[in-house]
Parts: sequence; C-alpha cells; structure tokens
Amino acid sequence: MNFVEYAVENYDRLLELSLDHLAVVLVGLLIGGVIGIALGITVYQRPHLRNAVLNVCGVILTVPSLAMYALLLSLLGTIGAMPVIVALVLYSLLPIVRNTVTGLSGVDAAIVESAKGVGMGRWRRLLSIEFPLAWPVVLVGVRVSAVLLVGVAALGTIIGGPGLGELIFAGLRVITSPNAVNLALLGTLGVVVIGMLLDAAFLLLSRLTTSKGVR
Amino acid sequence: MTDMIALEQLTKNYPGQARPAVDKLDLTIPEGEIVILVGPSGCGKTTTLKMINRIIEPSSGIIRLQGEDVTRADPDELRRRIGYVIQQVGLFPHQTIGRNIAAVPRLLGWSRQRIADRLDELLHLVGMDPATYLGRYPKELSGGQRQRIGVARALAADPPVMLMDEPFGALDPISRERLQNEFLRLQGQIGKTIVFVTHDIDEAIKMGDRIAILREGSTVAQYDTPETVLAAPADDFVKEFIGSGASLKGLGLARVREVSLADWPTSQISAGREAARRALDSSDHGWVLLLDEQRRPVRWVEARALQGEGSLDRVGLEVRAIVEPTATLVGALESMLGSRVGVVVVVDGSGAFLGTIDMRVIMSAVEVMRAAAHKRVLDDRRRVRAGQEPPANAIAAQ
Ligand SMILES: Nc1ncnc2c1ncn2[C@@H]1O[C@H](COP(=O)(O)OP(=O)(O)OP(=O)(O)O)[C@@H](O)[C@H]1O
Ligand SMILES: [Mg+2]
Repeated sequence: MNFVEYAVENYDRLLELSLDHLAVVLVGLLIGGVIGIALGITVYQRPHLRNAVLNVCGVILTVPSLAMYALLLSLLGTIGAMPVIVALVLYSLLPIVRNTVTGLSGVDAAIVESAKGVGMGRWRRLLSIEFPLAWPVVLVGVRVSAVLLVGVAALGTIIGGPGLGELIFAGLRVITSPNAVNLALLGTLGVVVIGMLLDAAFLLLSRLTTSKGVR
Repeated sequence: MTDMIALEQLTKNYPGQARPAVDKLDLTIPEGEIVILVGPSGCGKTTTLKMINRIIEPSSGIIRLQGEDVTRADPDELRRRIGYVIQQVGLFPHQTIGRNIAAVPRLLGWSRQRIADRLDELLHLVGMDPATYLGRYPKELSGGQRQRIGVARALAADPPVMLMDEPFGALDPISRERLQNEFLRLQGQIGKTIVFVTHDIDEAIKMGDRIAILREGSTVAQYDTPETVLAAPADDFVKEFIGSGASLKGLGLARVREVSLADWPTSQISAGREAARRALDSSDHGWVLLLDEQRRPVRWVEARALQGEGSLDRVGLEVRAIVEPTATLVGALESMLGSRVGVVVVVDGSGAFLGTIDMRVIMSAVEVMRAAAHKRVLDDRRRVRAGQEPPANAIAAQ
C-alpha cells in the first residue's frame, strides 16, 4: 500500500487525532497565554524581576521535552492529557512573556504620559492604551509558541497524551512492518500541517485584531 | 482677579541629583490668563509644569487649584480637571480622532449624545471639519493637525486650566506661527487659565499675558507682562535672556548701509604732517586715517609716526579692512576682527571715505534690531488678539 492509499484509508483516525492534537495545543496555549501575558504585565516595569523571570522561562525552554515529560510524570503522578498540558504551558512561556515585555516597553512614553494626563488610572491605561498598542508584538509571541507547542505535543504520547504522536510512536513500535513508514509519515505530516495552519490563523488574527491606526 | 493656581514653596528633588530641579517656587497664576514659563534649557520648566497635574510628584510644597489644596488629591480626578498638551502630542494612535478627543468625557461618563455634540463643537473650534476628520486615525493627519487635535482633546471636558509644554515646539516655523495665532484667537473665546512652557523668548512675548522668566532651580528672575519685561528687565540674566531670541538671526542679513557709521579723524596726505597731527589731537582716537586726493583711505597712522618731516606716503599701516555699504554686518565684523586698529573703513562705490564701523556701532545696531524685533512680536500679538488679519507670511501659508 503506498502512502496516499494508506492516508485515505486512515482518514477518519487521522482527523480525530489531529483534532485531539489541536485541542491539547490550544488548551496549553490558552493557559500559557494568560499566565505569560500576566507575567509580562507584572514584570515589564521592574527590571530585576523581569530579568529573573525571563531567565527562568529561558531555562525551561532548554529542557528536552522527553526529560520534561519524565519529570512531570513523576511530579504529578499521573499520565494522560494533564501533564502534557502542563508541559505545553511551561514551554509556551518564554516567547509570550518576552514579547509582552517588549511590546509594553515599546509603547511611546509620550502616549503613556498623555494617557496619564487625561486622567486614566493605572489599569485603564494598561487595558485601553498600553496593551492594545503592544498587542501585535504580544501576538507574535503567542504565534511562535503555538508552532513550538505543536511539535512538543507530538511527543506527549509517551505519557499517554492525546494527538498525532500516537501515529508516530505506533510507527516506531512496528518499525519492521511494511506500514511503519506510512504511520510515522502520516503523523509527522499531520503535525506539520497543524503547525502551518495555526501559524496562518494567528497571522490572520493579528490582522483582524490590530487597529487600522497602527497597521 | 482671583488666582486659579497657586504654587507654594514647591520643590522637586530628583534622586541622585545634588540640587533640586525646582527649588521652593512660589508662583500664582491669575484666572483667565496665559502665563508663560520661559528660561534656559534644564532650568526646571517642564518639572514645574508637570507638578501642577502631578505627572511628577512634588517632593514638598503645596499646589492649590481654585484655592483647594490638591497636593494629595486623587491624581486621576485632578487631571480630568486640567487640560494637558505636550510637544510630542501623544495622541493614541490606535484610536480615531473622535475617540482621542472623547478620552476625558468618556472617563467622566458623559452620555453618547453629549459626547457627539461636544466633538462637533471642538472640531469646529480648532478649525477642522468634523465629517472629514472624526473617523481618521492620528497617522492620517499632518503635524499641525495633530497638535490641533491635541488641543481639542485637552479642552474636551471644558477644564478651567490648561497646561502646555512647548506645544508648538515640534512644528516648522510657518505652522508654528499659524497655530500660535489660532490659539490666541481661540483663547479670546474660551478664556482659560493657561500655563505655557517654552524656551523661546519670542514665543513667550507673543503668547503671554504674563511671563515668568526662570533661572536654574526654577527660581523666578522676573514675573511681569511682556511689555514690562522688555522695557524694564529685572537684572542682567533677564536682559541676556531677552537678547537670546531668534530675532537676532537678522544680524547676518543686515547691511552696513542700515547702520549709522561712526566718525573718525582723517587728513589728506597732501595736506602734510602738521594737518594730520592737528586732526589727531582734536580727537580722542589713537590713529588718524590718511586719505588721497579722491578721499580714498590709504594709511593708518599713529601720533609717533607723525613726528619729524617728509612725505606721508610710506608711514603707518596700509588700510586693509575696507567694506562698501552693501556688505553685511557680519562681514564687516569679520574684517574688523582682522584689523590692527579694530575698525572697518566704509567707502562708497568710487572708494571714497564714508565713515567707520567699530564695536560700538555693531552693538548699537544689535540693540536697534532687537528692539525692532520685539516691537514686531508685540505688534503681531496685539493684532492677533484684536482679531485682525494674521501677518502676511501666515496668510501666504494658508
Ligand atoms: N527624571 C529625571 N531624573 C533626574 N533628573 C531630572 C529628571 N527630569 C529632569 N531632571 C533634571 O532636572 C532639571 C530640570 O529639568 P526640566 O526637564 O524640568 O528642564 P526644562 O526647563 O524643561 O528644560 P528644557 O527646556 O530642556 O525642556 C534638569 O537639570 C534635568 O536634568
Ligand atoms: Mg522641558
């Protein structure tokens, strides 16, 4: 059976696993996004804290994903989607925090001063002026994380996580069978396509959510 | 007339700075007037201004607004009562012009309809068409239009007080002049209490009902009407600062024929030594200028060289620093600095002696020019305030 025939035959399973994969990535990204943006907002005006947080997030990103999964498995004592999502959240932090800090620090000081000058309080200023202006940069961070997480999630299968990793690992297990390559290829292709789709989706989101005045 | 703003012993110490940026400043701003804070760079104008709306928190002292001590009031509520315009304008780039101007009314919870009506009114006030501009974004406006919107935003909730930090400083000279005139006319209608910072004395004279000339530490050197500051500067610092205006840029363009020349003892070579000695003796100069038969300058001679007998053709120094009436004053000044005698000889088209220019002539020319320039600015301001036509160059720019 060649690859195309194999893909058509396993279409249902491919779709199901892809949706699972996408779901786990989006959940991780959503939580990571909220935490990362909140962290960025907390530290962007505090140089010491900012450097500390960015360093920690940077270190997290250097941990190999297999080691991360092993660690979380023993720490959380459970398998399945949960530890995978925790790993995804941790990996997503650096790009999101860094871009949130960069975006917020990059807002023109005169604009911030004007916002103060018209009598906007700290939070109002952040929500209606600073954050919207930083938003395109923040979103780039989220987009980078999204693509990163699609790959990391594929390895989540080793601790029972959902998604396309299942095909890849199934291929590994039956490495001598004629379908091994097809399985692995199908899983890998799915991961790549999801990555590309997410990337495009975030580009579009950025277009749609950025004010005409700053485009 | 009551005081709208009173600053009492207002002081700002920046951390790590040996001397206070603002040092125990006492200043009162009368209601309905434009008060200009003017002074050299770094003297503390901006710091003073920003303490009034507490963008910068004072280290000590008291700020009163309409008699009320606002030094510890809620800064956000305070700022909604004070319009604020800065040089960089600081419009919110992601919001439309309408939304920008509506910032304070929205914070104050005005109704939709009231805001819409006010937006129309404000755009007319700053001379822009609401239908065209309300939906635009800041980047779609020119620099001058942006600053007009900055002013409209500051005026939105009709605050009694406006603070303006070099509001026209970033504009080209023509736009600046236009906006100054527009703003003076606008102030004629709205009668706000305005504190206006500039480092340009000409702008201060033109825009101010009163001028506070500040020296380092925001110390008041003089606080008076522009007329009084010009007519009776309080001290040398003020005098020097008044002289710093762009009005003196005209020196490079002024011609020798526009100044009154100094006289100088002269004598004809052919008249001999005795005549030259007499000419020198009857003046208090150390040199006599010798002329030839056509009254053309030939030699500079000191008393010592006139002793003895003989022809005068070779005594003294050759006259090198010679200019014609069409030369610029700056050119004359340069020749003067290269001359041993310290004097430039002015000759007519045929080379005949007309007079001389020395340092005193230049200094009094500068004085005359300065006075004329200040008179121009004052006239200009009177004209604009009386609602008459703006000066010709502003019309040409329309
Ligand atoms: N944030 C700051 N930290 C420390 N020193 C400051 C700060 N801001 C201003 N200064 C100092 O305080 C003094 C007054 O500054 P300020 O900005 O009020 O001057 P200014 O009169 O507005 O000058 P300019 O005409 O250049 O705008 C200066 O010596 C300046 O270096
Ligand atoms: Mg300043």
